[in-house]
Amino acid sequence: MIRLLALLALAAFILLPLVQAVMLSFTATLPTETVAEGTIGLMNYRNVLASPELRAAIVNSLIYVTLNVTLCIAVGLPAAYALARFRFVGDRHFLLAILVFRVTPPVVLSLPAFILFSRFGLVNSPVGIALIHCLFNLPVAIWILESFIRAVPRAFDETAFLDGHSGPSFFFRHLIPAIAPGIGVAAFFCFIFSWVEVVFARILTVTAGKPITMAIGAMFGFQTDIGKVMAMTCLSLVPGVMMIWLARNHLAKGFDLRA
Amino acid sequence: MRAHDNRAWWLLLPALVLLAVVGVLPLLAVVNYGFHDIFSLSDVHWVGFDWYADILNSHRFLASLGRSFLFSALVLAIQVPLGIAVAKLLVPYGPRAVWGLMLCALPLVVPWNMIPMLWLGLIDTRTGILGPGLAALGFDWKFTGWHTWVLLLAVDTWHWLGLVVVLAYAGLAAIPQAYHQAAAIDGASRWSVFRHIELPRISGALAIVFLLRFVDSFMIYTEAFAINAGGPQDATRFLSVELGEEIKGFSYGQAAARATLYFLVVLTVVWAFVIATRRREEA
Repeated sequence: MIRLLALLALAAFILLPLVQAVMLSFTATLPTETVAEGTIGLMNYRNVLASPELRAAIVNSLIYVTLNVTLCIAVGLPAAYALARFRFVGDRHFLLAILVFRVTPPVVLSLPAFILFSRFGLVNSPVGIALIHCLFNLPVAIWILESFIRAVPRAFDETAFLDGHSGPSFFFRHLIPAIAPGIGVAAFFCFIFSWVEVVFARILTVTAGKPITMAIGAMFGFQTDIGKVMAMTCLSLVPGVMMIWLARNHLAKGFDLRA
Repeated sequence: MRAHDNRAWWLLLPALVLLAVVGVLPLLAVVNYGFHDIFSLSDVHWVGFDWYADILNSHRFLASLGRSFLFSALVLAIQVPLGIAVAKLLVPYGPRAVWGLMLCALPLVVPWNMIPMLWLGLIDTRTGILGPGLAALGFDWKFTGWHTWVLLLAVDTWHWLGLVVVLAYAGLAAIPQAYHQAAAIDGASRWSVFRHIELPRISGALAIVFLLRFVDSFMIYTEAFAINAGGPQDATRFLSVELGEEIKGFSYGQAAARATLYFLVVLTVVWAFVIATRRREEA
């Protein structure tokens, strides 16, 4: 009974700000000639989808987050395999190094990252954000994938090698299917750290390529249509909620620190 | 047992290249900028350790450092025990606990810059759900320092509790029933069950929670700036708020020196933490 009450209190705490946002997103907060303030309806969502900048922002965010997750897993998988299966000179130093990168505050690197990326023409592009987010997502991907690969017995690899599989064919035909849930969990955590990040996303998009987070920020001004802001916020939650739903049964696997 | 094979480095190569480009290069650049006075990219003067001396000798820096450490300490003291408690509440629900986990994970996917907006909307004295009630209680986050702190802690807890719950639940749910039954037969107290059965299972996950929550709260900016911009009377002027001011003021050399300093502080704490956990593992 007490357990249930505590959980209800927790649910109220978590949902309250979101409930307010959803309510506002269906309310007209800035009166126009045709719509009075306080009218309930879908007008905010119509306004968001009618705006080319906001539509572009949604697409930009989806592009960079997909690129980032793909890159982290593609690069993280071989590294995780090496760490799970072999001992080698400097393996602990490598783990310590990725921990250091994971905990480096983005604000420390934001300025040089901007200067470096503008040399390569990666400012104002989703590719730039996708790359710089690897700084904190690649370590997470490596930790998660490593723990899943370690859970697969070594004999599994040896059987595949005896069957004549080697290198790439072993990776794609055997290892990836065997640790598919791990890839899902890694993708989930990379997604949540990347989708909502604002420090790098702000500094790397000056005039174009703005992701959702920056597009929302730009909606605040002299006369803020808070209903439209909330509609955009609610739309930005949709991919995240879908990720939570897809990963729900593996969420609880979590990840450990290896250092 | 893992085989010894130095050729494994080849598998790490892509990761190393990527981290060198997005991590090592900017890090070296920021350290280098910190030794210069930068008017523009073509007008740069070597100043040695002057910026560092300025920053370390300023009372504002030390006060901000203290505030940031206090904030991180409070965040960890609230969120870690609370997250473990919620995870323990969820474990007995078995497969249905996944609904609780999904609920807790929800704030993690909200864009960071909207989190303060959601909360400011919630406590708006005119239109917020909680606003009128809090105003009647005399809650004044704009002008009373410790009220701003309470608000920031509530917002940060709302945002990050899910991470603690999800990671702690993973460890707790993996404990076989037999362990708890054995403990019950031995008449073990709740505390000793936690200390000797549950804690060892979640210590790996807790290590990551501690480090991630430490750095993120230590460098809190988005929430602190949006809610009260360091006020009232500098009561919530954290380290990152000072850095943000310098970047906005185009004082890049000093900002870089400050960023390097922050990096060293974070690095020292993380290093001490890793050494402590390694020593415990070996003991």
